[in-house]
Amino acid sequence: MASTPSGTHGGMADFNIHHGFIEALIRGMRSSFLADSDYHHITQCETLEDVKLNMSETDYADAVSDLTVLTPSGLQSAAINKLVTEFKYVRTQAVEPLATFLDFITYEYMIENIMLLLKGALSGRDINELLAQCHPLGMFKESTMRSIPTFEANAKGFADLYQTVLVDTPVGPYFAMFLQESSNAMGGEVRNVIEEVEIEIIKSSLIKYWIEDFYQYVQKLGGETAEIMGDILMVRADTNAINITLNSFGTPLNEPVMRTSDRKRLYPAVGHLYPAGTHMLADVSTEEELGKVLDLFPQYTSIWSVHAAEAEMSIDDAFYERDVQALELAFESQMHFGCFYAYVKLKEQEIRNLVWITECILQAQKDEINKFVPVFSSHAPWRSSTKAR
Amino acid sequence: MGHEDCVSKFCNAGWGEVLSRLSPYGYANFGIAFGLGFSVVGAAWGIWLTGSSLVGAAVKAPRIRSKNLISVIFCEATAIYGVIMAIILANKIKKPGDGITTELPEDWDFNSFYYAGFGMFSAGLSVGLTNIASGVSVGIAGSSCAIADAQDASLFVKILIVEIFASALGIFGIIVGIIESNACNFPIGAAE
Repeated sequence: MASTPSGTHGGMADFNIHHGFIEALIRGMRSSFLADSDYHHITQCETLEDVKLNMSETDYADAVSDLTVLTPSGLQSAAINKLVTEFKYVRTQAVEPLATFLDFITYEYMIENIMLLLKGALSGRDINELLAQCHPLGMFKESTMRSIPTFEANAKGFADLYQTVLVDTPVGPYFAMFLQESSNAMGGEVRNVIEEVEIEIIKSSLIKYWIEDFYQYVQKLGGETAEIMGDILMVRADTNAINITLNSFGTPLNEPVMRTSDRKRLYPAVGHLYPAGTHMLADVSTEEELGKVLDLFPQYTSIWSVHAAEAEMSIDDAFYERDVQALELAFESQMHFGCFYAYVKLKEQEIRNLVWITECILQAQKDEINKFVPVFSSHAPWRSSTKAR
Repeated sequence: MGHEDCVSKFCNAGWGEVLSRLSPYGYANFGIAFGLGFSVVGAAWGIWLTGSSLVGAAVKAPRIRSKNLISVIFCEATAIYGVIMAIILANKIKKPGDGITTELPEDWDFNSFYYAGFGMFSAGLSVGLTNIASGVSVGIAGSSCAIADAQDASLFVKILIVEIFASALGIFGIIVGIIESNACNFPIGAAE
């Protein structure tokens, strides 16, 4: 499925006709990110009450004032709700093709929510509890969401689930492609697919289709959006490919038969590693071989060496750092859509940072507290700045 | 040109004949129209480019509202150049004197006539086209200025310098236009 944008967004001279106000709005929201000084104050706090006091001087003042007692999970949901409010405000003002672009950002969360509901249905959890755990950016109609776990957990139930419920959601086409490809591989048995294949593999496949679809859409928009978003999505696709490979070691997915048939199908057809790298990754069976493949790609040697050396930073943090670097670049130039995606992702990173810091304070692990990736920091490794913000 | 006979009956045997047969009054008035029209197009373009970004950026940083109106004023200035030029040119167009009805007399001052027509057309075009470029340029720079000012107040003056250079382009147009149209005078009677 390749969505086609209803038009291009115009270059420097006419981007502002439809998107000038909204872009300036998002760029104004850039000042709401926590600065180095804010992180400094928060990491120095001894208790969560102090954290709450410090947070009330930042842009999170309103979000935090509603919490009577600050807990990491409470802070996370308050911060996510703040992000969702801002996103919805921007989304209501957007016109095509920006509206579809913003919708693409939400599809990722919709896929996560559907997988959460399916997994919950399989283990028989309560629907209300599951709905409370869903990410707010990826909600669709409540009746649809409530009906997902009610389907029977057998072959016929899943087929019905897709045909009646999922096909109407915006991510329906991704399911259709997944079922098509899986039934091709398994020789035509559509109904058994969802039952036999693990939920994680379904999720990886859906995210792969989403990345490819988003990439095609962005390329059709052309101009600077294609350049900047294309780069961001390629880095994302490569991160997924490397993580899939890394996580498959020690699982049945790593067996030679499974590698070519199943694991290879999970690699996105987008990215610096595609097509030569993913072809080689399909044959990799140990971490050493993975390292040898990544040596051929200069962008990833430094990340891999972080993992191989088992240094202070985990490989996830190294990937996050690479992501943050690419996303900050989206704010460096004007008149394109990259800043919208970058804003959502960088806010997510900030929320991750806040949860990490509050967890460290709660568990009194002060030596681990600085292992987060700050956003728009003047101390970032790629930024040689003489002036602090 | 002017006195020779046309090849065809309606004087439209080719572009050369058509263009050289257009009345200098027509040329002059088109010059005024283009000068004013294009200048206003450039100014309007610049204003909506910078205005939309200004309104959006001011949502989160209301302090930028007043300072960044300077960008809008720069764009407006390009429209004013067009109006000045149009008024100057319009005042130079004169009707032929009394007694001249359908045909221009033999001793009509054709030199000034054609000189004025072509000169005013060119003056109008020079102002109009330079002001489109200037208006768009100031608009884009003004849009970036508003957004940058919202993040860091010290950037405003520096980006303003970019806008000043951009609006200088419009001044070039009106200077050349005035110099050119100075010597243009429509005659009202015989050559002296």
